[in-house]
Order: sequence, then C-alpha cells, then structure tokens
Amino acid sequence: MLSLGALGSAAVMLALALALYAIVAGIAGAARRDPRLLTSARLSALAVFLAATTAIVVMQVALLTDDFSVRYVAEHSRIASPVWVKIVTMWAALEGSVLLWAWLLTAYTAVLAVTAPNTVLRPWALVVMQVVQLFFLSVVAFAANPFVVLANPPLDGPGANPLLQNHWMMAVHPVLMYLGFVGLTVPFAFAMAALITRRPGTEWMRLTRRWTLLGWAFMTAAIISGGWWSYEVLGWGGYWSWDPVENVSLMPWLTATAFLHSIQVQERRRMLKAWNLLLIVLTFSLTLLGTFLIRSGVISSVHAFGDGPVGPFFLAFFVIVTLASIALVAWRWDQVRDRADLDAVMSREGAFLGVNVLFLAMTFAVLLGTVFPLFVEATTGGRVTVGAPFFDAITLPVWMLVLLLMGIGPLLPWRRAEHQSLRLNLLAMGVAAVLALAVALALGMRRPYPLVTIALAGWNVASVGLLLAGAILPRARLTGRSIGEVFSRYAYEQKRRFGSMVVHLGVVVIAIGIVGSGGYRVDQQLRLPYGERVAFQGYELELLRPFSEQTGGRSSVGVEVAVFERGERITVLNPRINRFGDRQMLVPTPSVRYTLGHDLYLALAGAVDPNQDFVIIRAVQSPLVTWIWIGGAIVVLGAGYALTPSDRPLRRRTEAAARDAAARDAAATEAAPAKAAEAASDARAEA
Amino acid sequence: VTSLRGIARRRIVYGLLGLGVLAFAGFMISQALNTSLVYFILPSEYAQQPGQYQDRRLRLGGLVAPESVRFDDRDLQLAFDVTDGIATYPVRHVGSPPELFRENAGVVIEGRFTEDVFVSDNLLIKHSEVYEAPKDGHIDIEALRESLQ
Repeated sequence: MLSLGALGSAAVMLALALALYAIVAGIAGAARRDPRLLTSARLSALAVFLAATTAIVVMQVALLTDDFSVRYVAEHSRIASPVWVKIVTMWAALEGSVLLWAWLLTAYTAVLAVTAPNTVLRPWALVVMQVVQLFFLSVVAFAANPFVVLANPPLDGPGANPLLQNHWMMAVHPVLMYLGFVGLTVPFAFAMAALITRRPGTEWMRLTRRWTLLGWAFMTAAIISGGWWSYEVLGWGGYWSWDPVENVSLMPWLTATAFLHSIQVQERRRMLKAWNLLLIVLTFSLTLLGTFLIRSGVISSVHAFGDGPVGPFFLAFFVIVTLASIALVAWRWDQVRDRADLDAVMSREGAFLGVNVLFLAMTFAVLLGTVFPLFVEATTGGRVTVGAPFFDAITLPVWMLVLLLMGIGPLLPWRRAEHQSLRLNLLAMGVAAVLALAVALALGMRRPYPLVTIALAGWNVASVGLLLAGAILPRARLTGRSIGEVFSRYAYEQKRRFGSMVVHLGVVVIAIGIVGSGGYRVDQQLRLPYGERVAFQGYELELLRPFSEQTGGRSSVGVEVAVFERGERITVLNPRINRFGDRQMLVPTPSVRYTLGHDLYLALAGAVDPNQDFVIIRAVQSPLVTWIWIGGAIVVLGAGYALTPSDRPLRRRTEAAARDAAARDAAATEAAPAKAAEAASDARAEA
Repeated sequence: VTSLRGIARRRIVYGLLGLGVLAFAGFMISQALNTSLVYFILPSEYAQQPGQYQDRRLRLGGLVAPESVRFDDRDLQLAFDVTDGIATYPVRHVGSPPELFRENAGVVIEGRFTEDVFVSDNLLIKHSEVYEAPKDGHIDIEALRESLQ
C-alpha cells in the first residue's frame, strides 16, 4: 500500500511544480500578450489548488486514521483524542499550520483566477499570488514537511498541545488568522501588479476592496477570538497580555486598518498613492515578520535564532518582499507621487491621514516593544522583557486620539469643512461626551483613562447619530416616507457607509468593555473551606465537593463551588485542572459566570488535595468584559454587512451639497429600479 | 487656487510639525521603555550587583531550595528560598503555591527586591524537559538559565 506520507509529499511537490509553471506561463503570457499562455496560467492556479487540497485531505486521513508513520501525526496526535481534536491538530503545530496557510493561499488564488475581472492587472496579480504560494509550498516541502515518513512508527502519539486542546476556540482562531493574512495578500498582489504595469491609480484597490475588507474582518475576528481563548483558558482572568504572539497579530491589523481608511482618500482625492502602496506592503511583510519572530524562537532569545526550521525562510522572504516592493515603488516613483495636496486639515482626508499616522505610530511602538529585548540581548547580553506597562503607556493615549478622530472624521466633508455645520455637530458631540462623563463620574469612576474613554464613547455615539440623522431626516422630509422606511432603505443602499457606522459602534462597545475589565477588575485569592460561605464582591462562594472526570483522553480534577447572591444560590461553577494523556503539563481551566454587568471568574490557584479541608481559588470579578466579545461580533457583522453585494449600482455622491438634490432625484426615480428588480426576480422565478 | 509659495510654506510647516511630533513620540517611548523594562536574572547575578537591581521590577529565575517552603494557608502567605546553587535569597509571595510547585522545581518569580528579600506578585512554574533538577547538588548555571527562559 502506498504510504500516506509519500502521497502527501508528492501532492506538495506537484503543487510546487505547478505553481512554478504558473509563474513562468503568467510572466511569459503577460510579456507576449499571449492569451493562451495566460489562460493556461489561470488554469494552473486551479491545478495548484487541487494538488494542495489533496495534501490537506491526505493529512486529515492520516490524522483521523491514526497513521503514526506520518511524523506530524506521530508527534502531535493521539488515538484517544476526540475526532474534532484530531481534525484541528492539523493546525496545532508549526508544520501543519504552514500547510494550512499554503492551502488557503492556493484556494484564494484559484478563486481570484476564476472571478477577477479580465484587466491588465490580473495576470501579474496572479503571478504575485503564485510567487507567495511558491514560497509557502517550498517551506512545506523543504523546511517543515509534515509528511516525513517514520521508519519505525510509534504505537501512539502524545497528542496536540494541551493548551490548544483545552478549548474549541483554538479550532477556529488560527484558521481565522490565516484567512485574514491570506485575504490581505490579495490587495498586496494587485498593488504589485499595478506597479509592474505602471497603473498605480485606484484600479487595483477598487478590484480588491472586498478582499481587503474580508481579510480585515477575518483578522479582527481572529484577534477577538484569540483574546476570548486566553480569557477562557489561561486562568488569570485577562485576555490580552502584550505577549509577542499577540503583538505580531496586532501589528498587521493596525496597518490594515490604516490602509482601509487611506485607500478611501485615494479613491476620492487621488492622493496618497505611494502611501497606500507602502501600507499594503507593510501589512503583508509584517505578517511574514511576525511569523518569523514567533516561529524562529528568536523572541525568547537571540541565540534561538536558528532553532525553528522555518525561521530563516520567513526572514529571508520578509527581506526579499520588503526590499523588492520598495524598489518597485521607487522605480515607479514618477507615476506614484501625488500631485494633489491637502486643501485643509479639517476635512475627511485630513482626519483619515491623522488616523493613519496614529495607527502607524502604534504599529511602530508595538514593534519596538516586541523586538527591543532582542537589541538589549544582542548589545549587552542582558535578558529583559518589555512589560505591559510600556505598551499601555504608549498605546492608550494614541487610542484616545483614534477614538476622538473616529467621531469627527466621518462627519467632515471631503476637501474642506464648512465651519457652520461642523461647529453645530461638534457642539452636539461635545455635549454627549460631557453627559457620558457625568454618568461615569456619578457611577464613581475617577481614573483618567476610563473617564476619557467613556466621554469619547458618548462623543462617538453622538457622531453616528448625527451621521444617520443627516442622511435620513432630509430624505424623509423630501419623500414623505416614514423614518423607519428611509432608514432601512438607506442601510440597504449605502451598505459600505452603514457598515462602517456599525463597525465604529462596535469599536465603541469594545472600548467600554476594555475600560471596565481593564480598569476595574478585582482579582483575589480565596481560601474556601468545605461547607462554609466566603464573601467575594457581593457574592458568597461555598465549596461543595471535589470531583474528577475522564473524557476522551482528558482527565480533570476540580471542585464544585456554589455561588450565592443575596442569600440565593444562583449557580454552581466548576473550576478544574485538565491533564491530557500522559503529558506532564497541567492546564488549569477556569469556570466563568457570564453576565452583561460583570463576569465572575473562578480558577483553581493550588492543588485539590484530598487530605486538605480547603481549596484555594483565584476569584476574579471582571466588569463589562462580555462587551468586548459582543463589540467584536458587532464589528465583524458590520464589516460582513458592508461586504454583502448590493444588487444595484451605488449612486456616487461626491459633494455634500449635492446630497439633497440627490435625495430629491432618488424620490423621483426610485419607483423605476424597484419595478425593474421585481420584474427581474419574477423572470428568475419563472426560469 | 493656492500659490506655489503657499504650498511650499505649508509643506515646511507640516514638516516641522511632523518632526516635533516625532521627537515628542521618541521621548515618550524612551521614557516608557526605561520604566517598564523587566530584567531577567538569577540569584547569583543579583548577588554581584545588589545595588543595580534594588527596587526595580525583576524576573528572578531559579530553583525552589529544598526544605525552605512554608505556606500559611490562613493568610495565603508563601515563603521559600530561590537558589541557583551559588546564591540563595528568601522569597515572599501572597497566594497559593501552584500545583506542581515543589522542592527543586524551576520557578520564575516577578517582583522586587526590598533589602535582600524578593517580594513577588507572580509565580510561574517552569516544568522544563531540558533541565533536570540536580541530583548531586551541582547546578549547571547556563543550562538553568536557558531552561527558565
């Protein structure tokens, strides 16, 4: 029988060869304008995808059938694990993760090859995608091959990393992250294509607008779900510790967020061409740099530089990508430089530019804090870590400014603000901010950052309210329709604009969650004797009994703790410690009572010893923390809404002054398209 | 339409403003870095230069010295000695000893030295496959350092 390992390796090599062919055919076809070669290059994108899919299927079969002759399975899987753990084991360790990343890349490229409109950019964009996937497939084939065949396969393996097995979120989080990274490879590829073909206009960003937003939404979802995972697993009641792994996921997100805003400036004002190109280069290369930093072990020590098999590969590719893209921008400088100039700072583009600078400053600070220990170790030999206080001190004031601009920016018109309407809007927002501040003060909040954040939350809610009122009230007045009707029509027709409002509201909700959980968390160790009630933050906790459980390769030891509020028993929490297989590592697993006001979070702080008549518990009360997850969901839903296709072309309104006239037009003509749409859907139903 | 000279002047103003912001940001960043760097040291390194590490936030690595562990489960006060075979210092920690905390276990504790007592607020067990606890009392400092990182 053919071994699965050999089959997997063969599939990867085939994908590699096909990708190489697609690059050669793509370049030759584009240079000679040979449609047959170009079609062949596009079809090879599908073939690469099929070959990579074969490799993925082989890996899944090997995992699910416990084929320990495949080294990756032997090192990371285990017979007793439940099926879902076996499936996700594919991305629980390095080699499988790179394989998954490569496969998602081939999938995106295949979709692009089929769906991207036939423009001059397409062949080159596909070539760039193929080069990127050639790199990933080479890493899989030559540096981190998961299909290596073991001559003497073991009878069973150790299973996946316990921290990852401990929560289903780990099945989702890495996939979301890679979907985000890969999604942002698409605008990068088109940006490079635009430079190669000397068309650095807005075409490349219009073609990839959806991909950019999709990638950004996936990354946002990945970061939020990663935070939730650490909250539910790591047992300290927090969700973000400025760990290097977290930082390197945040950096490309920050630059991608900047990019999402600055491309609008280029679309409207034909400014910031070079800036946008550099931003997408930066975003893409930061994903490579991050992977290098995490996977090479260089973060824990510069001497671990060569430890991981893939570190040097990612570093080399990062350097090549960065230098080549910057060289390309420099080479095309004549086409890329801006000829327009900022008319006024108080304009939409001024605000977008400001928020861009802020996001880049944050990216730089996070990067500096993440790699600074390397400099110190390389120069003085001392081992240091940069603690959370550094990142808080640098990023919190910047976030405040971001929130400030987030409220102003969308209300400013392009080019130049008319002072009259702006002043009224700012006044209304200022009043809302003061009201929010007063509520916060009345609730007893005294610390500066939480107070400012709450005020800015009021500011932003008012801003979204004003935006909606400005869009809806004139239409309602002119058309005589009810406000609800105009609102739903507006939300339906202006999907991008409405989606962005939803996203901004989600950000406000997240900010409130961070204020509560970051500023007002109570964290305490408690000695709980059996059968006695111990007070904690308005609750009483009573230790009922210890328990132990065996399920699907996992053994747990824990305690049942009854929770009382005002004398009434409201729930029983089960903090526990999990052990997976015969691994040494213990995973303390907290138990959480979620409410909208605050979470009650219990984790075992010490051993559950049968000879002891008490257990020591870490109890955390974390106010408003649930709103972070809710806000994250709102952000992702808003982005998803903006992504849904609209079934009629959007009316372009470039001038704020033309808005009323447009509304009047819409009132006069809207019956016609509606009828047409009805007729079309009837026709479809008949067909 | 703005005159060319106006544009040039505005660019200079923006440039200077940008430089000012950069300088301010650089100052803020270096300040923040200075105050939030946490050094990782072993007890023997502290012994060489106690003055340098006094009242600074540190991550102290070492082994739990045998027969030094006392835990008061009423007040949740944990006291033990941390050693790297060359120097040994007493540690005070509020909270329960974690599961797997035992003599000769590798630990990393975060906190400050006041006088020569290390007051910790974070206690991590490093169960390393690399470093084996010493059987004959001899500790390989470099291996210990690597295993605790």
